Amino acid sequence: MAISRRAESLDLGVPLDREEPRRTVGGQLRRWLPLGLGILMAVAMIVLAAAAPLIAPLSPSAQYSDAVLKGPGAVERHLLGTDEFGRDILSRIIWGARVSLQVGLASVLWGFLLGVPLGILAGTRGGAVETGIMRCADMLMAFPTLLLALIIVTALGGTLVNEIMAIGIALTPNFVRLARSLALTIREQDYIMAARALGSGQLRVMARHVFPNALYALVVVATLYIATAIRTEAGLSFLGLGIPPPTPSWGNILSEGRQYIKCCPWITTFSGLAIMLAVLAFNLVGDALRDLLDPRLRGE
Amino acid sequence: MFKYVLRRIVVAVPMLFGAMSIVFFAMRILPGDPCVAMMGDQATTEALADCTRNLGLNRPLPVQYVDYLWRSVQFDFGSSLRQGYPVSEYIARMFPHTLVLVLSSAVVAALIGIPIGIISALKRRSPLIDYPLRIIALLGLSMPVFWLGILLLIVFSLHLDIFPLIGGGDLDGVIHMLKNGEAFSSPRDFLVAVGDVLHHLTLPALALGFTLAATVSRLSRSAMLEVISQDYIRTARAKGQGERAVVYKHAFRNMMVPLLTIIGLFVAIALTGTVLTETVFTRPGLGKMLVDAIGARDYPLAQGAITVFTMIIIVVNLVVDMLYAVVDPRITYR
Repeated sequence: MAISRRAESLDLGVPLDREEPRRTVGGQLRRWLPLGLGILMAVAMIVLAAAAPLIAPLSPSAQYSDAVLKGPGAVERHLLGTDEFGRDILSRIIWGARVSLQVGLASVLWGFLLGVPLGILAGTRGGAVETGIMRCADMLMAFPTLLLALIIVTALGGTLVNEIMAIGIALTPNFVRLARSLALTIREQDYIMAARALGSGQLRVMARHVFPNALYALVVVATLYIATAIRTEAGLSFLGLGIPPPTPSWGNILSEGRQYIKCCPWITTFSGLAIMLAVLAFNLVGDALRDLLDPRLRGE
Repeated sequence: MFKYVLRRIVVAVPMLFGAMSIVFFAMRILPGDPCVAMMGDQATTEALADCTRNLGLNRPLPVQYVDYLWRSVQFDFGSSLRQGYPVSEYIARMFPHTLVLVLSSAVVAALIGIPIGIISALKRRSPLIDYPLRIIALLGLSMPVFWLGILLLIVFSLHLDIFPLIGGGDLDGVIHMLKNGEAFSSPRDFLVAVGDVLHHLTLPALALGFTLAATVSRLSRSAMLEVISQDYIRTARAKGQGERAVVYKHAFRNMMVPLLTIIGLFVAIALTGTVLTETVFTRPGLGKMLVDAIGARDYPLAQGAITVFTMIIIVVNLVVDMLYAVVDPRITYR
């Protein structure tokens, strides 16, 4: 058993953690608590974003001239205080969740849809196709995610769709590389040989055998990339290249609040906290899923 | 070994050209005319035509592309639209600021990240030690550097007034003193100038270093877990060596080999981090220069900054690959 697990570890070039939590109550808690907590936080954020019109106490763009730059609780109706235009910070953060989560989820889906077929094609076909696809992926990998997204958003303009496209394209080479490495392992399996012997064509092998077997690992890593995408979106908005104000996004609330950190630190504190909790939620889910479903991916 | 190094260089060169091509074409589809950005809406048609001709924008795109590639490999990125002077000069002035930030945050990240990773791996059976350390790493990974930077500014600059709010100190002065030998003739002035630079550097290095430490600690933990399960560690223990000797003499040294890959990853993350960190702390540097150039539609400056960022990442990865082959001879034979 030990030998076969070692072999798996070598195949993917990542270490195996041989320490499984013991099957005690404490062990089970350690195993499931991060996943449960992460799912709870992520679902809460998604519900918050989806039901923003129902949950937000006030309109995110409504200006209250009697409550400009008021601290948390200083005016009863503004629980987390107001900004320089007298807008309610809590409502803006709740509405801002829409932008951050939309970009986070949609850009990962976009990167997944672009990258996974290319990666599987590269891993299964090999040869010139693989070289071509991988060299292109390597070229894009030379740019860190934020930098590539920044170039694309600058070129196309800061709209929701452009941000999704930019971050999606920036994430694509990561999916290409992972899908290819998984396809390389899977294509050597006996069931692939059996499928080929039964007359399955290349496309069928890729769609019916390679993709479903790679899906677990891909979904796990995709969850972690949602966290990256949310952080990247916040970074772009913070630099003033994301969704332009007055539409609230966590990054632009934080960016606007930067000018008032001396008198009114609550604007940046709460919007930053929202970004951190969202990123933490998807990191927790991704980490826990990876450990539970596919220990070979530790270290990815 | 030589063949391996040659192969890596052969792969890196087209990658570099590919990345530079992406930068070139992305800059060409940017909305707005660079000449209008430079001269304003009131410029006459003749003036705009002159500007277009002077910048070489009237030439066919393939000609501009070849010209850009040829000039870029000579570090000639044209002149800044706003400042007027050569982009390469601007980059050369900003580069030391970014370099000291990356190096100091690397020190912070290594000092925090590697011990956390090692302790977390060695104490993996003690949930009271391993779990809090892993939670710290996860928090560091989830905390945006610009938010942590702002929190540090609020506490240490605005409330406690210990560190400056903006700026990067007189790094140019320090470099000048080093160049003309003043550092040795009047060491007191030199130390004061260095102290001022470090004073300005502390908060940005802490902010960037802490977020990077999270990645370093996770990779260190995984590298240590891999190493301590090796046969030679069991042999060392079987020989009766104490746990301290096993960890320091065998595990730690061998762990550093896989940790080398961190450097490549680290430079990419750190350079991205500098864009945000320098903006938050209003520090001079390549990252802030890039953001300002994009904001001002100063295309040659933005193009130059992105090209330099990409070049650094590709070259560092190439060097790391070579170092890897030097440290681990088995790589050569793969």
